[in-house]
Amino acid sequence: MKTPTAIFRSIAAGTSRPMSREKADTLLLLGACALVLLPHASHLPAWIMACCALLLGWRGWVTFRGNRMPPRWLLLPVAMLAMAGVYWTHKTFFGRDAGVAMLTLLLTLKLLEMHAKRDLFVVLFLNFFLILSSFFYSQSIGTALITVTAVIALLTTQVSFQYTGVVPPLRKRLRVGATILGLAAPLTLVLFLLFPRIEGPLWGMPGDAQGSGRTGLSESMAPGNISKLVNSDDVAFRVKFADTVPEKVQLYWRGIVLSDFDGRTWTALKQSLPRRSTIHVDFLDQPLHYQVTLEPHGRRWLFALDVPRQLPQLEGNAANASQELQLSASTAITDRLRYDAVSHRNYRLQPNEAPASLQQWLALPTGFNPRTLDYAGRLSRNAQTNVDLIDAVLKDFREQNFRYTLEPPTLGRHAVDEFLFDTRAGFCEHYSGAFVVLMRAVGIPARVVTGYQGGEVNPADGYMTVRQSDAHAWAEVWLKGRGWVRIDPTAAVAPSRVEQNLGSVIPRRVFGGLLTLDGSGNLLVQKWMSLRQNLDAMTNAWNQWVLNYTPQKQKRFFESIGFPDVDWRTMISVMVAFGIAAVAVVVLPLILQQQKRDPVDAIYQKFCKRMARKGLPREIHEGPRAYATRLTENASPLLPETKAALARFLELYETVRYGAPGSNMRPGHLSTLKSLLAECR
Amino acid sequence: MIKPLSLYARFEHSIRGHLSKWLYRRRGAEPGEVFLHQRRVFIVPTHPGILFCVMLLTLFIGSINYNLSLGFGFTFLLAGCALIDMHLTFRNLAHLHLVAGRASSVFAGEEAQFELHLINRRRYDRYALWLDFVANDRPDLAQAADVAANATRHVLLSTPAQQRGWLQAPRVRLQTRFPLGLLRAWSYWQPDARVLVYPRPEENPPELPLAPTEQNDGQGAAGYDDFAGIRGYQAGDSLKRLAWRQIARVDVDYGGTLVTKHFEGGAAAEIAIDLTLLPHSLDIEEKLSRMTRWVIEAEARGVAYAFRLDEISYAAALGPAHREACLTALALYRMDA
Repeated sequence: MKTPTAIFRSIAAGTSRPMSREKADTLLLLGACALVLLPHASHLPAWIMACCALLLGWRGWVTFRGNRMPPRWLLLPVAMLAMAGVYWTHKTFFGRDAGVAMLTLLLTLKLLEMHAKRDLFVVLFLNFFLILSSFFYSQSIGTALITVTAVIALLTTQVSFQYTGVVPPLRKRLRVGATILGLAAPLTLVLFLLFPRIEGPLWGMPGDAQGSGRTGLSESMAPGNISKLVNSDDVAFRVKFADTVPEKVQLYWRGIVLSDFDGRTWTALKQSLPRRSTIHVDFLDQPLHYQVTLEPHGRRWLFALDVPRQLPQLEGNAANASQELQLSASTAITDRLRYDAVSHRNYRLQPNEAPASLQQWLALPTGFNPRTLDYAGRLSRNAQTNVDLIDAVLKDFREQNFRYTLEPPTLGRHAVDEFLFDTRAGFCEHYSGAFVVLMRAVGIPARVVTGYQGGEVNPADGYMTVRQSDAHAWAEVWLKGRGWVRIDPTAAVAPSRVEQNLGSVIPRRVFGGLLTLDGSGNLLVQKWMSLRQNLDAMTNAWNQWVLNYTPQKQKRFFESIGFPDVDWRTMISVMVAFGIAAVAVVVLPLILQQQKRDPVDAIYQKFCKRMARKGLPREIHEGPRAYATRLTENASPLLPETKAALARFLELYETVRYGAPGSNMRPGHLSTLKSLLAECR
Repeated sequence: MIKPLSLYARFEHSIRGHLSKWLYRRRGAEPGEVFLHQRRVFIVPTHPGILFCVMLLTLFIGSINYNLSLGFGFTFLLAGCALIDMHLTFRNLAHLHLVAGRASSVFAGEEAQFELHLINRRRYDRYALWLDFVANDRPDLAQAADVAANATRHVLLSTPAQQRGWLQAPRVRLQTRFPLGLLRAWSYWQPDARVLVYPRPEENPPELPLAPTEQNDGQGAAGYDDFAGIRGYQAGDSLKRLAWRQIARVDVDYGGTLVTKHFEGGAAAEIAIDLTLLPHSLDIEEKLSRMTRWVIEAEARGVAYAFRLDEISYAAALGPAHREACLTALALYRMDA
């Protein structure tokens, strides 16, 4: 038995001696496998990751110590146990998560059962499948970078196993792997852009591929919903404006319209109401064209600037608009979605609505907020018009010590009462909710609209980014002759942000994006901002060009390079043509490659070839002098003048080739050699 | 032991056989330096290469089904790598220069060794080139070689020599799977090299035909009397006379050599090795075989010998030149007819 010191000594000895080749190759393979398994750590159950790590460690130990591989009777129960564990965790062997879990265990177990060279390829192929399966969970730039690193490691391993004699150092082999990848990159790019895209799925997505736990607005608004969002830096969507970017105060991204209030929570209108086919809107200004790239949020909502002129045209997913002009898709948005939209900022929305159909916007729960109702009664007695009423409420918000905070005090049963008369601290949810309750109490039809406000134009690529932290809620009131008018009561309280989250290093944008914290005094903040903008632009370009490269986008790409109306047949012929071109690119250099060799040597080779054709090839051991002797001897069948020419030729060649440097390098030796060669007929 | 061929291997073997027959039906030995230009190098996917294609297809279908844009990119990247591998594998073999080197004479029944020179005039290293003789049909005897940039590498290939006479080097197959093992590039080369195969020395020969006169120490069989020590093994020495005890002490793997027991004694008289003096019961090959053994024996024991084979007649002599002349005559006896 070895003592720990002895083991340590043997390890130390092992590091000082060059490792045996098989050992080094296997350890390289294990490293590559670990790299492939790494991205799976974020979603695999912890016990599977631990299992994989253990099995990898076991293999590493076996390799390092040079022990025998574990026998089958030991591996089989381990494999069965692992499979049972997968079934226990996922309750199935099928589906995405269970499949990926099985694949990881299969790979690590196979490593312990690798005997023949053929098994190496099995392991490599399993690795490639695992890499693909990691894209189910993330397709970010980071994942792509890890993938590229893993592919280089795998290629290097594959190359390492192919050497038979000399094995170059790891650095050089890594360069071989990276070179192969680097040479493949342009081909990849072209294939990516040109290879005919087929829209999936072919046999249906497994149920668990649906997104869950994604951030975004919900159908209801209870205190705390939006403030949670405001702390999230996640991107909600990105917008590319066709020409002009509107001012920030105009950027109200309409989302969900909330109507029903139960005293605490606002919810969307029940769908049971009769629907009409037309929505009457007068547009009063020039339309604004833009394109939205919506991040998947797992729900059906679409967002557009207030108010959208037409339904966005979605690919494979019909959009519709409700009576309240809230846009939605027919199925949940689980993939990044892009659509064109047109909006107007000046409009009259349903100005001639019949009073009967407005009744639903006046409903308030009974038995809630008595103080608010009382206050509303007083207000309506003092005011002449509805506009006066609204102004009075906003004036109160402005002047009565209301403050804006992301950490409002908790509210009890009469939430609006407590907010308006006691705490007077809240954020957009509180203000819009309280405002709508007040409006309804004085008899003005009103509703809450949630969505996003603002957005930040990235100077790096001109895209506007709207984040979850831009989530906002505002109010709409219906005024006779003017229709639904947008009122943002929060803006009355906090035209600029009053209470900052000072603990945060990232400068928080002021509420609703109306203002941005001025970070000009702080160089670090500026640097961070510009870094973030560049990263963001990169991510956006990645999304636009890599992840969103759909068949439609491909079609548009073909159009942009001058091939409109590309159909399947054209695409395939382009592909074939391209395939031929690609093979030509690979093969032509081999065919056209001239012998890169010294011109003097080239002439000598030519001479030798000519003599070989005459049946007098140069033997491998013969130098020019010995060759000349043999060629000019009496038994040689060559003509005397040829003999004379070749003797001079070989003499000159010898002088040029082997003479002292400089002494015999008279100019023109090349042309002399050439003319002598011509005489050697 | 050679494993039975699978059906696929048999099919592949037959296809390959026909293909090479067709491609090389008129190509004889190529004198001088041979250049492996691109039309002489063939390339096909290996079994892992075919599996790799199947895997790419699976990855592609998976990418379609799950709308994985990055999956498409990944699949195309691997496809690109395979294409680059094709280029590199081809390049690893193509544009190599080949020259046949020396080959020394052997006795029938031994292995004839051919020296082959691989000349790399390119600026990149070539790795894992496998060479074997097609005729042997023993891929396990293939030699692997690496050829550095602008360098020459010598490879020794051996093939069994069965028949006396000239043995033309069999056709050489060069192949490589480097760097990724997904493709196999191969080429054939008929080197312009041959070795002279001497007749097989008889296993249990009768004693040398020493003249029975001038005996000075009894009737002992001359040359076998006294153990006089050991000397280095020479081609053709009888296995029975190997000095096993001495061989056991030196490990052949570490540069040790075979040694033969050397006997001295008896008369150092002249002998004549003459075809006509051999018993008529032997057939011609057996006679040649015995003469070969006697030449070796006489040489080993330092007994000068005269040699006569039909019209070829050499006076009694000793030494490598004499030995070679005799053995050559034996090897080529009635071969030109």
